Amino acid sequence: MNSDEQLGTLKESLLGLDMESAVEAARSLADGGGQAAVQDAVSAVSEALGVVGKRFQDGEWFLTELVYAGEIAKEVMGLLTPLLEAGAAEAAGTVVVGTVAGDLHDLGKNIFVSYARGAGFKVVDLGVDVPVDRFVDAARESSALALGMSCLLTSTEGEIGKVIAELERQGLRESVKVIVGGAALTEQFARHVGADAFAPDAITGLDTVKKWSAS
Amino acid sequence: MDFKERILTAMEHQEPDRVPVMGLVMDPATSNQVLGKQPADIGGLLNDPSMRGQVKDIINLSWNDIMYSNFADALEASIKLGFDANWTVYTSMEVVEDPQCKTGLAWHDAFGRLWEMTTDDKGNMLLNYICGLLTTEDKWEAWVENKRPSFDMMIQNVAGYHRKLVDNYGDRIYPIGYAAPGIFENSWQPIGFVNFSRFVYQKPNFVERVIAFHTDLYLRYLDAVMQSGVEVVMGGDDLGQKTGPMMRPELIEKLLGESYRRVSETVHKKGRKLVWHSCGNIYSLLEKFVEWGFDGIITMEPTAGMELGRVREQVGHKLVLVGNLDVSYLLVRGSREEVEAAVKKAIRDAARGGGYILSASHSHSSVDPKRLEWMVDAAHRYGKYPISI
Ligand code: B1M
Repeated sequence: MNSDEQLGTLKESLLGLDMESAVEAARSLADGGGQAAVQDAVSAVSEALGVVGKRFQDGEWFLTELVYAGEIAKEVMGLLTPLLEAGAAEAAGTVVVGTVAGDLHDLGKNIFVSYARGAGFKVVDLGVDVPVDRFVDAARESSALALGMSCLLTSTEGEIGKVIAELERQGLRESVKVIVGGAALTEQFARHVGADAFAPDAITGLDTVKKWSAS
Repeated sequence: MDFKERILTAMEHQEPDRVPVMGLVMDPATSNQVLGKQPADIGGLLNDPSMRGQVKDIINLSWNDIMYSNFADALEASIKLGFDANWTVYTSMEVVEDPQCKTGLAWHDAFGRLWEMTTDDKGNMLLNYICGLLTTEDKWEAWVENKRPSFDMMIQNVAGYHRKLVDNYGDRIYPIGYAAPGIFENSWQPIGFVNFSRFVYQKPNFVERVIAFHTDLYLRYLDAVMQSGVEVVMGGDDLGQKTGPMMRPELIEKLLGESYRRVSETVHKKGRKLVWHSCGNIYSLLEKFVEWGFDGIITMEPTAGMELGRVREQVGHKLVLVGNLDVSYLLVRGSREEVEAAVKKAIRDAARGGGYILSASHSHSSVDPKRLEWMVDAAHRYGKYPISI
């Protein structure tokens, strides 16, 4: 199989939810070629995840499929990332992510994390029930491109404004974009508290962060 | 009509004297506020290292009493608020030392979930599911094997618990026992959703075994809940999220359809009715609910786009509808006019011909009892049959 065919197999396997075959294709690509082949494989994963995301947004795919495709991408990237030249990995930038204080829902946040990693971002995942200071400290320490907050409870949405206010107070707001998502939130709310973007789903969120990274 | 006749008439898709109102009161935050009680400062005691060990032992020894008094308060509060019915739920817990948890203690439920306790700003206790303990097939098998005696004990406790609540409160309110969590939740939450999704594709036989195990256990659990003698029982599983079902509907049918049919059969064989809870956007599952034999559904989460009128249009009177006042804004800080308008709309959309019980869409510790009072009051004013609004 030539490398184009292998790239095709990698994408198809990911979209066919065949982890074994996806990992196998990624391994052959990595073994057979140099830096360029590895880069191509990473791009293939990213493209395939774009298709997965579209299928989810269009209601063709459901959560288990979205999650499992993310898991396949994670395995494949685990294999490819160490082979990338220093600096090429995680070149897209760093994103700090967590679920706000008082909220323990993590399914949506985890999907965002896994897709962001699949797209080549370095992700600092702070977990759930994250207090204001931890968000702000992590953004500062990692020189994050973006800070993502997940929030599913109305009772905890006030946390988002607090994080943004603290970023401002510490002079970090200009350098860190803020994106928010989760069942409790709306576009209007995001605007109201001064976030840069609202993500109705993880894939749209990732598209936004990719745009920020490219600009 | 009394509260019981009202509920049972609605369950038969007939028109009672007025629209019945059901409470979903369970959070101590709500009950304490309604009853003017001070929260027991369990959080404070557990945070005190000199007390922790002792308090842990006391909690473990008296867990059934703690559960009972929690729901006794919930029923007392519901009676005070004027509800015709309220749900009652039993959760089996054991407190264990766990340095990784904030308080140094973890709460393990019988099914393999880890919960942590927090307290709100007034000191009310809240228990939250954090993660699963059974992240691999081996761990799951070992847990199930070791816990057999605990499952038997749990079933016994469930039966006694619901019966006692009915004995003590059943003459003043209709306590509807809720067999929760359901088969899907007991299958995925102890394993974790990411692992569960992986296993669906990589270890389908294991997933089937897990679901079969929880189906059998759930049927026993339901049977225990029904020993209270109450004619209506609640079951449930969160099958939806904000934009649609958690899994492809065909996959839900394949993995869980037969289990749910057995659930309905078990309930119907005892001459009872089954009301099913599911959060999220579940329009695409409504016909399945009918096919599986559910008699009613509760929740219809407005924040996930669920509208009573649309549900009624889709399933007609094949399902009794229980819901769905918003708990994200309306019942937390909505104005009296807004609450009243929402009650009128719900009645207009779903109450004609019976088969409708008004309630909040979910329990939530931020729900304000004042708004619940307004809800009941509006239901009494505008919910008289024949509906004329
Ligand atoms: C950083 O950038 C980004 C970008 C995109 C991001 C993002 C971040 N975060 C999310 N996104 C976006 O991308 C994802 C997919 O593309 C999406 O993520 P979601 O997180 O929305 O979607 C997930 C992939 C799947 N969806 C979910 O996982 C949530 C589903 C529902 C059913 C839900 C679940 C499963 C649970 N719950 Co809870 N729960 C509900 C939910 C109903 C609903 N409408 O969503 C909701 C959120 N819960 C609610 C409640 C009330 C509660 N829950 C609670 C507990 C739980 C479970 C533990 C049982 C479980 C969570 C398990 C877990 N580990 O996460 C309690 C709170 C615990 C706590 N302190 O957090 C409790 C308070 C219940 C109680 N009385 O104890 C309601 C909140 C109401 C409100 N407005 O405040 C609720 C809407 C249900 C309802 N019927 O009203 C997008 O929003």
